[in-house]
Amino acid sequence: MAAPPEPGEPEERKLLGFLDVENTPCARHSILYGSLGSVVAGFGHFLFTSRIRRSCDVGVGGFILVTLGCWFHCRYNYAKQRIQERIAREEIKKKILYEGTHLDPERKHNGSSSN
Amino acid sequence: MAHATQVGLQDATSPIMEELITFHDHALMIIFLICFLVLYALFLTLTTKLTNTNISDAQEMETVWTILPAIILVLIALPSLRILYMTDEVNDPSLTIKSIGHQWYWTYEYTDYGGLIFNSYMLPPLFLEPGDLRLLDVDNRVVLPIETPIRMMITSQDVLHSWAVPTLGLKTDAIPGRLNQTTFTATRPGVYYGQCSEICGANHSFMPIVLELIPLKIFEMGPVFTL
Repeated sequence: MAAPPEPGEPEERKLLGFLDVENTPCARHSILYGSLGSVVAGFGHFLFTSRIRRSCDVGVGGFILVTLGCWFHCRYNYAKQRIQERIAREEIKKKILYEGTHLDPERKHNGSSSN
Repeated sequence: MAHATQVGLQDATSPIMEELITFHDHALMIIFLICFLVLYALFLTLTTKLTNTNISDAQEMETVWTILPAIILVLIALPSLRILYMTDEVNDPSLTIKSIGHQWYWTYEYTDYGGLIFNSYMLPPLFLEPGDLRLLDVDNRVVLPIETPIRMMITSQDVLHSWAVPTLGLKTDAIPGRLNQTTFTATRPGVYYGQCSEICGANHSFMPIVLELIPLKIFEMGPVFTL
């Protein structure tokens, strides 16, 4: 986000001029599913009712709801993943730092399981 | 540091800034959806053939457009307050640095281990070496360790200033006669730039802040204290 895009990296693509879909985690995924949901809901409504205007309204509503739902779901999983990565990073660091000493987490774990 | 034409936030160098970027993404997605809805409503308004000007009753719609914004505001406020209280946590800092704003330079005091005090002036363009950044580089950087909670005590000797480093998610006003505190923990080494963020006179734009974050082992060897 800080440096200008390198040749291999995805270019910035901003929806409505401000939402950077490529570089914001979960944004592209949510917008795509939202678009799909919008088409399914709007077209489905039209097939059943043949009302164009109302079907467009349903489509827009579907886009907003599906995008929001996918967004929250994806961001929740992303946050969980980041926490797990942080825990893993800390454990690896501890393991490297304390290997062979009395503070070695593996030694403590083996000691408690043998008791 | 920011690159030319950059509009978005800089990459995070502290956990608080990571949280702020996450919150920013969250709020921006909500804003995007609201803008989309408003654009659609505008489009409908401009293309409608309905011309009845005597509509007066719309209880359901009025209920919806009262309750829905309240829900949206709650969805934005809860993570915002969470981060607000997170920034106020003080996690037993290992090091305290004082930063004093002057017109137009910063003074830094490392008083925990000895009495190191120095001024940090912007490098004038004539004194820049190749590779130095114009209007950002300084003669004496603030050298700090990474992965260590650090407390910054910020004040001013004359007028209002503000000590800001965007990549750490820090901006604290330097107010004469008042001591403000901010804490942070940097997660990666590097050189990080900031600029005075409160109008303070003719050279307000020319008193930058430069942090040089180094591994704790190297910091403990004392490069800072051999000046």
